[in-house]
Amino acid sequence: MPLSADPTSAAPDRPRMDADIVCVGFGPAAGGFLTTLAAATMNPDGSPALESPSMPGMPLQVMCYERADDIGFGVSGVVTQASSLRASFPELDPAQIPMAAPVTAEKILYLLDPIGASRRPFILRAADRTIRTLGGFLGVKHHAIELPWTPSFLNKHGGLVLSMGQFTQWVGNQLMATGTVQIWPASPVSEAIIENNAVTGVRLSDQGVTRDGKPSAGFTPGMEVRAPLTVIADGPAGAVGQQLDEHFGVPHGHHLHDWALGMKFVVDLPDSCELAPGTVLHTIGFPEPEIFGFLYVHPDRVASLGIFVPSWFDSPVRTAYRYLQHWMMHPYLWRHLKGGRLRSWGAKSLQESGRRGEPHLTGDGFARIGEGSGSTNVLTNSGVDEAWATGVQLACAVIDLLTAGKPFSRENLDATYVKRRRASQLDAAGRIAEKARDGFQRGVVPGLIGTLLTGLTRGAVSMPGRPCPPHARVPGLENYYAGRISKEEIARIRKDCDTKGIAASGILMDRVGWPAIPLDGELLVSHQDALLMGGKVQASAGYADHVVFLYPAECVSCDSKICVEMCSGQAITPSENGRPVFDREKCIHCGACLWNCAKAHPHNPEHALVSFQAGSGGLHSAEN
Amino acid sequence: MSTLFLAHPEPDGTLAKSALEALSATIQLAASLETPFCVGLVGENPGPAANSIAGCGAARILTVSGAQFSQARYATDAAAAEALCRATAATLVTTPATSRWNRVLPGVAHRLGGHADSHVTGLTVAAGQPSISRWFYRQRMEAVFTRSTRPWLLALEGGIAPVAAVSNRQAQVTAPIENITLTLPATRTQVTGFEAPASDQQTIRPDADLLFVTGAGWTKKQADGKVKAAEAGALILDFLRLSRSSLGSTKSLVDLGGEGQSVLPFLSHLNQIGQTGSTPRHAKGLATCCHGEEPHTVGWRFIGERRAISMDANCGWARGKADILYVADAFAVMAEVNALLAT
Amino acid sequence: MYQIIVCGSLVPDPLQTLEPITGPAGPALRNEMMLPASLDPWARHALYEAANLATIHPGSKVWLVSLGPKAKLQQVMMTIAQKVPFELIALDGPTGGFTDAAETAAALADAISAIPGLDLSKVLLFGGWESASRGAGATMQIVGERLSITEQFQGVDSLTIGDDGSLRIMERVEGGQHQVSVCNAPPAVIGWATGNLPEPSNNPRVGMSNMRGIMAALQTIKPAPVGTGDITFTSVALPTQTRTTRIIKDIPPAQIAADIVAWIKGG
Repeated sequence: MPLSADPTSAAPDRPRMDADIVCVGFGPAAGGFLTTLAAATMNPDGSPALESPSMPGMPLQVMCYERADDIGFGVSGVVTQASSLRASFPELDPAQIPMAAPVTAEKILYLLDPIGASRRPFILRAADRTIRTLGGFLGVKHHAIELPWTPSFLNKHGGLVLSMGQFTQWVGNQLMATGTVQIWPASPVSEAIIENNAVTGVRLSDQGVTRDGKPSAGFTPGMEVRAPLTVIADGPAGAVGQQLDEHFGVPHGHHLHDWALGMKFVVDLPDSCELAPGTVLHTIGFPEPEIFGFLYVHPDRVASLGIFVPSWFDSPVRTAYRYLQHWMMHPYLWRHLKGGRLRSWGAKSLQESGRRGEPHLTGDGFARIGEGSGSTNVLTNSGVDEAWATGVQLACAVIDLLTAGKPFSRENLDATYVKRRRASQLDAAGRIAEKARDGFQRGVVPGLIGTLLTGLTRGAVSMPGRPCPPHARVPGLENYYAGRISKEEIARIRKDCDTKGIAASGILMDRVGWPAIPLDGELLVSHQDALLMGGKVQASAGYADHVVFLYPAECVSCDSKICVEMCSGQAITPSENGRPVFDREKCIHCGACLWNCAKAHPHNPEHALVSFQAGSGGLHSAEN
Repeated sequence: MSTLFLAHPEPDGTLAKSALEALSATIQLAASLETPFCVGLVGENPGPAANSIAGCGAARILTVSGAQFSQARYATDAAAAEALCRATAATLVTTPATSRWNRVLPGVAHRLGGHADSHVTGLTVAAGQPSISRWFYRQRMEAVFTRSTRPWLLALEGGIAPVAAVSNRQAQVTAPIENITLTLPATRTQVTGFEAPASDQQTIRPDADLLFVTGAGWTKKQADGKVKAAEAGALILDFLRLSRSSLGSTKSLVDLGGEGQSVLPFLSHLNQIGQTGSTPRHAKGLATCCHGEEPHTVGWRFIGERRAISMDANCGWARGKADILYVADAFAVMAEVNALLAT
Repeated sequence: MYQIIVCGSLVPDPLQTLEPITGPAGPALRNEMMLPASLDPWARHALYEAANLATIHPGSKVWLVSLGPKAKLQQVMMTIAQKVPFELIALDGPTGGFTDAAETAAALADAISAIPGLDLSKVLLFGGWESASRGAGATMQIVGERLSITEQFQGVDSLTIGDDGSLRIMERVEGGQHQVSVCNAPPAVIGWATGNLPEPSNNPRVGMSNMRGIMAALQTIKPAPVGTGDITFTSVALPTQTRTTRIIKDIPPAQIAADIVAWIKGG
């Protein structure tokens, strides 16, 4: 049984088009790749510097296909050193990029639990008591301590606070103005075309199909775009990246076991807020110790803020939305945010295995860049600049090969792209960071200590821990709530939620002491209103469901239904027959369902039972 | 400064309510400006309509008549309006915002060297200068502005003023009715008729007291896990038949047709209200199975009393926008409503 | 064989939250350049209808005349260019709803008049019957007047061409009805409402083919500094009226129904 299926891939009249380079996904990695390539494509007089091998006499034909409906609909909480960006744009003036601000202040905060509902290990409870007792001496204010110093490995001084959406829009517009590359939004790529173990192009998603992918009115088979080089930049949950991992495997010892969901709000800050543009706050400790938070201040009284919910937070109800609201309402943050207004909302999955999640970077006819290529640094918590750098490295390699007239074979790509990447600071830093998060496998305290050790010893010492597939970590509801909610009551709540088709997390969190969120219609809004007011979520007609439950019968016996609880858009709901139901109109393509499943795939224990495929639609906000 | 009010009679020879409302607003405008106003009527035989408002206080009543003007057609209507404007040397021209006037007014303004504004929802006068209110970005923001160029042609939306202002003046001196003849412009167009759904399938009733708004929730999985589009369709049609209300739909429900989902076959884009649909005027509105924020709810803008039925107490469609939100299953409630209305 | 000229400008993506501000040139939208944009929804229908007509009548050609900020035009074209074949005529100017329809119409008419080989006897001038920004329903009529086209139709949902070349047009009129007219031949102005065509699929080949012309049009784009004309704005504001919503729950459907029926029947 394949991990995913494209039921119409054998459509007989699939049209075909040829290009020189086809790029899957437009994010920072593709931005770095195309920016560097575009600069080398034309001579100053406008004549082509690189001729198209597939169309002699023509300039290089470079196509980039992006799933989202616009090039500015990506999501990330971006604070970055921006060294690779500055290398690409030596004259970079942050004022040119909407919402960009130079970093002016950085703080790390330990947030105490002002409510008492947080699930804290004994050692943390003891530490909290000590901190509260010594409050005045330690400088506890608003139930939080500002750590006296920021470890150098977390330091972003001299860097930038960005909006991913505005940044990619800015990069995309500059690129398209050159006329040398084409970036096509609203164009999901369903799969790579693999022939004789070489990638020879991509296949775009079929249109005019039913939810299960069968041809219906207006059926248009997805086009095959053939190219000597396919660049995979579709992120950590991209369909093509997953397909290549499945086909070629991953390098020995590498894995994709560690994930996190980042969910963010973009907020109009109230007039009373005194946070200066460029302020960067990182939080630990609340709403659960495993959940980290961030708040970055943009110009014009706007802030990006959110939380990361990691796969090693062993909760079967690790809903990000409700936790994000509690986090915002922490007294330390709420004094800045109260009276603010939601502008935008979004979420994405983060590949947290870092360099150990690196796939085979090249093969015949393909190369992988960006987050899906394991570029994220899990020690410095930095990914955008690193993704950009991998794109630049590949572009330099491609220019070398084109100039030399060499084919895009694995051997040649290894000798140019991989060689560059291995020799880079990016790779060296990635190696240092490799084991930084291992301690979290054993708990939040060992994890924090491990990260600090790794950072301070530049990777020489780390806290041991063995990452395992996310599904292997998901506890049952009864275990998680043992001693707090009875089995009988859990069963009653689960049945009631299945009947109503709603997630159980809200009721369960209420039950263990999390207070109701006082919705105000401005910043504290219902989850569905966040989709509408913030995410502007929309699905295009005529595409198949991209979330597929591979063995729905198995879902019936699933106790946690973590796919439902973790779904960022409430697009996955339970049903009375025990099988989850997917509503494409609410999906924001965060990819959380890919790794939030409690059951192992019967034929591949590295995977679970949800297939997250290429799909259309999603967020329509350009500010995330 | 002089004002000209333009209207056309309905097929039965009378003036529609929207025309009388616009005439009321014109009377008030002229009074505020302390200037006379004229009336211009265009139609095959506008005499009876002219007689019906002869006591409205107009200084002159002019008509353009003839078979060619029985049809709502750009070339002839524009020529008639142009002639009436020139004959009265009007600096302000008002019309009801009917499809017929909306079609020609900007072109007429261009011919006269003036400007036209549509969808006018308010008229005010300050320091002797008129200003208008109209909505931008699909009823999402309201602007008040004035123009310096004359003539200024204004298509006034229904409800801009009560009809009463016309009837109150019935006893006054009647104006003479002058017919204007004009050289018929060349036209290559003939109006051949109208197409409308059969009366039992007509779901758009602009004169209804109530707008019934249906959202995509009607075609979604219900509490028992089943989709009940057929039952939804029957409930909605029964309610429309029994209440004689007008049907509005959210964009998402109309669009579902394109996704091949179970939809309500009687819905078309003509029913769509809100962001890319219409913003009808009704005294009351009842929304069912809707969920949406500001862009989706502009269809509410000109509805007086508003109620909603939703399963979600936090429904963004209703909160702050409806007067009453019933948290309940619309299927159950509407079945009971229909039973009550049928008795 | 027709020359189908579609006028269509950019509007904010319909799902965006909009807020007015006062800028140096009059009212504008907050963060206007940051908001994602799309081709005006009714103009988009017009474009699809034009492409469909051109397919039915081989030898016909479709132009899209679009006024907007260059960077935004470029971005939106990447979406729209995949849909149907057309040649772009681009004008670089503000696209906000507060610009004056007459100024926009003048710029569009000038650009159309400059189309090489323009033959009015073949022209079908298409556009949306209104825009989702200004919503005036005025631009198309003025463009028509400037090109001396006095066969004009607004709120059109259907255009069919008879064997004799006559145009059968259905326009939206009051009461959910359509007025049916027959115009014996072009030229004509057709302001489209929704029409009846589904959104075309994205076709990369169409995109590639359009792209060459689009890039050339953008690189030679001419400025069209349209403004607010003779308008003086007193205010532009969001509706401030917020209603106090009374929430009624936990009562039986029959009781709610009785309440609703009493309300419907009462005055």
